[in-house]
Amino acid sequence: MNKILLVIILVVLLFSISCKEKLPLDKDLTKKSYTLINQDSTRVVFPDNIKGHITVLGFIFTHCPDICPMTTHNMYLTEKQLKQDGISDVKFVAISFDPERDSPEVLKKFAEVRELDFKSWTLLTGEKNTITEMLKRFDVKAIKTDEFKDAEGNYEYSMMHTDRISLIDEKGRLRKNYKGSTINIEELVNDIKTLED
Amino acid sequence: MSILIAILFVLFPPEDKINIKDAWMRPSSEKMATALYFVIENKSETADTLFQVDSDLAERVEIHETYSEGEMMGMRKVNFIVISAKSSFELKPGAHHVMLMKLKNDIKDGDKGEFILHFKQVGEIKITAIARKPK
Repeated sequence: MNKILLVIILVVLLFSISCKEKLPLDKDLTKKSYTLINQDSTRVVFPDNIKGHITVLGFIFTHCPDICPMTTHNMYLTEKQLKQDGISDVKFVAISFDPERDSPEVLKKFAEVRELDFKSWTLLTGEKNTITEMLKRFDVKAIKTDEFKDAEGNYEYSMMHTDRISLIDEKGRLRKNYKGSTINIEELVNDIKTLED
Repeated sequence: MSILIAILFVLFPPEDKINIKDAWMRPSSEKMATALYFVIENKSETADTLFQVDSDLAERVEIHETYSEGEMMGMRKVNFIVISAKSSFELKPGAHHVMLMKLKNDIKDGDKGEFILHFKQVGEIKITAIARKPK
């Protein structure tokens, strides 16, 4: 009887270690919430809005021609793969770290051009201070580069930023970070399936 | 002189030395940015240099590279790209690309755009790129 109990404990322990390796983080995001604005100009309290859903979170700015479109496309491909595998309850959230230019209208158009499904996707912007505070919580950095004024006197810039997609579980805990533009989609899909089990 | 240049162009078209293939760009919207990607094949015995790209699609068109510093990523302008003799150079996502800033119109999936590539050796090459999602 004692031997059986020992085997059960070992199996549980091994499973727990394996999960920890696959999903190394366990940061409770629900302790602090942020009032943001979605693509429809509706106020959204994050992460309350994703409570009860596994969520794939990406950090972007819409004036980015290369990296952020890659990150967004990788999230799109992840959703496509999940749907093919019969999983359709995962939420996708893209948060802009360029609130000065990324208005709700701009975010909506960015999403529409990329055929993102608003049933599962939310794009968020907000007050600059709120976004800055939130980025700190996620350890995401974004700094302006190549600042200049164009011929019409418009202030323009690019951004250097953390290349990040994050996986959040149903309880609002940050479980894993990935490099957004070059993420292994199969790895993310498998991690989501681990959370679903 | 111009007749001679025209004859030389007919006899030795730039495409014989530099071949551009798989030109595509990401769909994007008016006033926003996008990127153009393509493969440059240099079939000649000498290196050539791409130093400018023109297009009516955007207010500014520049050659850029994506770079990383630790977990951070950014983009910066580069003045030229050298394509060694008998070699290929790919402008691709996450690397060198042509950045189109302040698009004049929406670019939707399936749209086509004209570009003029300026090379030091072979001169101008006109290309057409199609808007599509990455493969």
